[in-house]
Amino acid sequence: MNEELQLKLQAYCDGELAGHNAGEVEAWLAKDPDARALLAELQNTRAALRQFGDDLTLPAPRDFYWSKIQREIRRQENRRTDELPVPWLAALRRFLMPAGAVAAALLGVFLVGEQLRQNDPSRAADMEVAFSDSDTFTYRDFSSGTTLVWLSYPAEIEFAEPDPGDILD
Amino acid sequence: MKLTISRGLQARCVASALAFFALAGLAVQAAELKYEARLIWATNDKKSPDSKHKEVDPEIRKKLDTLNLKWANYFEVHRKQFSLAKGAVEKVAMSDKCSIEVRDVDGKKVEVSLIGKGEQVWKGTKLLPKGDILVLGGNAPNSTAWLVTLKRVE
Repeated sequence: MNEELQLKLQAYCDGELAGHNAGEVEAWLAKDPDARALLAELQNTRAALRQFGDDLTLPAPRDFYWSKIQREIRRQENRRTDELPVPWLAALRRFLMPAGAVAAALLGVFLVGEQLRQNDPSRAADMEVAFSDSDTFTYRDFSSGTTLVWLSYPAEIEFAEPDPGDILD
Repeated sequence: MKLTISRGLQARCVASALAFFALAGLAVQAAELKYEARLIWATNDKKSPDSKHKEVDPEIRKKLDTLNLKWANYFEVHRKQFSLAKGAVEKVAMSDKCSIEVRDVDGKKVEVSLIGKGEQVWKGTKLLPKGDILVLGGNAPNSTAWLVTLKRVE
């Protein structure tokens, strides 16, 4: 007897078959002793379960009783998750992941801030102001990081006015 | 080996990490930057008439050579190191008549003013990363030149 026939027989036992289908099963039962034996067993089991269940009464309305059980299951599951011992490597990972995320976020904020600051035209450009009619020119050697600002004023007039004994004052 | 980490401990660890990063950031911001200013005489003479003048350091010499100036020798007349806190101003006398005023701008740039005989001659704001050098210069008598260099040391 294959599984499909067994399921069909169980459906018949539960009263789920009607009309033509029920007639087919009854014809099959009439000529197959194995099928009759299985049906008898199913009916006995069904009767035993019904008897057992009849003695039980719920202490509270059905919905309330099951919701209480459901709440207790969830509470125990949560507690188990909290207290579950974890290997030290996993524990370290659990700490490093949020810490790494925080560090990455801070780094991102810092880099974006720096980028914005550098792109700010008011900040990016170096500013120079020459006074007293001074002509200046600026040269920058990027490879050596050297900036030269050459001033014509007070060249050979006041600033570098030679004093006896000191060539630079 | 098993280790139990409660959510409370995890939260404390994350809070500690945040505090660490914040304090580290504040410490970096609060640190003072060190600068070195030099007054240099540029000449083609092989020796300075003042025996106190020494030839400039090879590092500065190398930087000056990249500018392709016409002078062959550079003698250090005066050198001064100073620290600058964020937003602070330092006036550094380079000689009797020459000084520079350096102001820190947002911890990265410097505003440099050149003062000659009490008058502000030039003012500029520069990004001066560590190792970079700002050279202010002008002609001096007898085809020589004066240079004021400013370098961030730390």
